[in-house]
Amino acid sequence: MSDLNTTKLFEYHNTKGAKIINFAGWSMPFSYEGTLKEHQSVRTNAGFFDVSHMGRIELQYEQIKEISNLICSEIISLPNNKALYTIFTHENGNAIDDVIFWKFENRFVLICNASNTKKIEDHLNVNSIHFQNITENTSLIAVQGPTAIDKLSESFTIPENFHTYSKDDIYYARTGYTGEDGIEFMIPNNRVDEFINYLENLSIHPCGLGARDTLRLEASLPLYGFELTDLISPVEAGLKWTVTNSTNYKGKETLDQQISTGDRKYLKKFIYKGKQIPRTGTIAKSGDVNGLVTSGNISPVLEHPIGFVLFDSKPPTDLVEFDIRGNLVEGNLISKRFLS
Amino acid sequence: MSETKYLKTHEWYKIEENVITVGISDFAQGELGDIVFVTLPQVGQEFSKGDPMVEVEATKTVAEAYAPMNCKIIEVNSSLDVEPEIINNDPVGDGWMVKAEILDLDDTGMSYPEYESFIS
Repeated sequence: MSDLNTTKLFEYHNTKGAKIINFAGWSMPFSYEGTLKEHQSVRTNAGFFDVSHMGRIELQYEQIKEISNLICSEIISLPNNKALYTIFTHENGNAIDDVIFWKFENRFVLICNASNTKKIEDHLNVNSIHFQNITENTSLIAVQGPTAIDKLSESFTIPENFHTYSKDDIYYARTGYTGEDGIEFMIPNNRVDEFINYLENLSIHPCGLGARDTLRLEASLPLYGFELTDLISPVEAGLKWTVTNSTNYKGKETLDQQISTGDRKYLKKFIYKGKQIPRTGTIAKSGDVNGLVTSGNISPVLEHPIGFVLFDSKPPTDLVEFDIRGNLVEGNLISKRFLS
Repeated sequence: MSETKYLKTHEWYKIEENVITVGISDFAQGELGDIVFVTLPQVGQEFSKGDPMVEVEATKTVAEAYAPMNCKIIEVNSSLDVEPEIINNDPVGDGWMVKAEILDLDDTGMSYPEYESFIS
């Protein structure tokens, strides 16, 4: 049929009536019952996402110093049973990928974006870091929502926020990409059907990548390929908080300079209370500073368009003008989160 | 009322005397995903065949519905302003978008079986 990769749950998605899309070389569920419904179920109850397309790479903790040289966050002092969100940076400070490390007592796992797995593997190889790609042997299931922890707590020990835990051959962390509490589970493929049954018995239903995107946007979280790219640094993307690595990693000089001078691009959040959505690629302007929308969609909770716009330099005002198919409309730049 | 006909751009229309009712097909709403905003034309506005008449914003993408023939708007479905999801739920019924007076009749749309083989 096609050369697209499928996850272990591909047949499950089809039997659930999922609308399937091609995402980063994978056939993935976009939605089952509709993006808005799935979005609301994660905001008010709980849902799960098959995110097994994301890369899972096993590393050797003995090489932590070499790994530290490639990322902008402090990792050498990371204790066992902790998760770390960070960014692999080029020499020029721009982002190679944003990733999560899961550190366990006996394992050290890197989770990267599906679209960047090959790029990360090449980068690790070039820098003589040994690894094993375990993406195909495991499934990655994100369970998210305000009731998720309570529901899961009968069967799983719940770690603190951004901590990891393991039970038999299931490795998990209290992390996610929706702005809600929840746990992401890495499960051997031969146990994933049993795990999905368990979730369904808890009335936790599948949600697609459509809802994952509206949820992450509403939670002000960046998506690689949009807010972060090979042309955008973590500092420019508003992720200065991740720049904590005091050793001499690739890109450090540029990032430190961007922080101290402020001479850089600026990613800003926008809201627009109209009926047209400023989408990716929409031309924007604030005062005389030009920008481009990196992501834009409806906020299902706020019921108006929201998104990110990347400006060439610091925008002088909180007003932003969008050119939506020739229609000039005005929105607002905000510094607080979309959802309070 | 005549049979419902379909265009390659995924609109449907029905002709009743000199009035057409226009909406988008079930296939089109499925491709768009959840519809969140609909921008309807003004009553009295005139369109030539192929002009964009209605703008549909959905979670996945944005789309336009085009005029099936030269026509002048006489009524718009203003319930779509508050409940755009009607288009997802009943695209060829309650999800109609506009009614328009026919200025030049052009009944060359596809029958449903023809449209079905076009989209498959």
